[in-house]
Amino acid sequence: MTAYPWLTPSPEEHVRFDVDVLYGPWPRHPYDLDLAAVRDRLAHSPVERGLALSTRGALFDAAAGNAQTLKDLAGHPDLLPVGTVDLRDALAAEPQLDALAAAGVRFLRLFTAEQGAPEPDSPGYRHVVELAVARGLVLLHDGDVRRYGPALADRGAQVVFLDLHAYFLADFLLLARREPGFRATTRMLSAPDSVERVVESVGARHLVFGSRTPFMDISPQTLRLRYARISAADRAAIAGGNVEELLA
Amino acid sequence: MPIIDVHAHWGPWPFHMDVAGARLNLELMDRYGIDLQVVSASEAVTYDAVGGNAALREVLAGEPRLRGYAVVNPNRIEESAADLRRCLDTGRFVGAKIHTTYPGRAIGSPQMREAFAMLDEAGVPLLLHTWGTDVALLPGLLADLPRLRIIVGHAGGDAWQEAAHAAADCDQLYLEHCRTVADAGRVAYARKAGVPVERLLFGTDSTLVDPCVALGVVRDADFTPAELERVLWRNAAELFGLPVSE
Repeated sequence: MTAYPWLTPSPEEHVRFDVDVLYGPWPRHPYDLDLAAVRDRLAHSPVERGLALSTRGALFDAAAGNAQTLKDLAGHPDLLPVGTVDLRDALAAEPQLDALAAAGVRFLRLFTAEQGAPEPDSPGYRHVVELAVARGLVLLHDGDVRRYGPALADRGAQVVFLDLHAYFLADFLLLARREPGFRATTRMLSAPDSVERVVESVGARHLVFGSRTPFMDISPQTLRLRYARISAADRAAIAGGNVEELLA
Repeated sequence: MPIIDVHAHWGPWPFHMDVAGARLNLELMDRYGIDLQVVSASEAVTYDAVGGNAALREVLAGEPRLRGYAVVNPNRIEESAADLRRCLDTGRFVGAKIHTTYPGRAIGSPQMREAFAMLDEAGVPLLLHTWGTDVALLPGLLADLPRLRIIVGHAGGDAWQEAAHAAADCDQLYLEHCRTVADAGRVAYARKAGVPVERLLFGTDSTLVDPCVALGVVRDADFTPAELERVLWRNAAELFGLPVSE
């Protein structure tokens, strides 16, 4: 059989940080993947480390989810804990954010899609964003960049958009031109020139790797990184350097 | 070992990307080792089926590694039937393509039934854009159309579980999993549901989507070498009657 080069991971697929990792029950999915299974999946991939959290905080109980994430990941240096708050109960956010900050958590993930898709100008959403930005937390933000991007602008916020689709790249680039803290994951930048366009127009510092493990295949995303027509330095920034900068 | 891509496009798209031109099709095919690609014209898919198909006829005349799908607009069935014959007569078109979103016709609509009947008579495979739970209607719709083979494009999109069960229930359906959002476990789910490897096809959505996305799905599906051969080219060669040198 002729070997297909793409069938075997190459060094250009190595990812030092994946910002989009979850574990735990997900009712709509055909099966659940616990932490051990997620770690096993990552161990068999080109991903070295991840930013992860329990799905409990997203779907059921933010405070309990945060506690579980911190407890579960305490012994796992390959996974750094991410916190969350529930956008349906913004009044509970303040003590939870203080607790996360006290625990040294640097990333806060928001689940707008799972929590009623709040209007960007709704009081609860704005309150959570203001509290998070004031504490210097990096937002890992789902949803449509066209919807939430403008509400997050002009705050000096550090934001990673987790769901940027290639179809809406122009909107992201318009925002990123004036927002140095706006970044997006490459997960859905699937056109042959999407990653390249970001690098050429606003720079590789605006991209990070986020696979949404365990719900998405990893190889499509590492292959896109491998075959992107960008420099080795830009690839390294996307594959982990930019996250390391945020952690520094 | 060759690769046949059964779901690709030629032409521009109205997004922030520059992917028009058959040269890019070929450049990406070379990069990933794709030998043959079956394309539809983006103009035909999104705007003018007859006009887009005519433009593709000209392109195919000069590109031996590309084959064509004639786009059928289910809202203009007589016109599309005549245009399909024009395309097939060139010898460079091997099937039909129907999108559901752009013509605004769901799989269960009367117009789609009429289109399916026309294609059953024409005797060529159909690449159908599927995106949603109405993919589950396909086995019932094909019950009286024994000749029509449908490639379930995108394998139902977000309704990939429903698409898997539909394909398991009907041997006239072939699953093709290209999609930007590469949900994990789709291929394994389909196989567990009862879809044989002989009815899995490789498609990319290139040049709208970089082929490496679909190749990554294949890599993560952990096929055996024999299964890989089936999925990457042999099933497509048999379905379309395409000549491929091993």
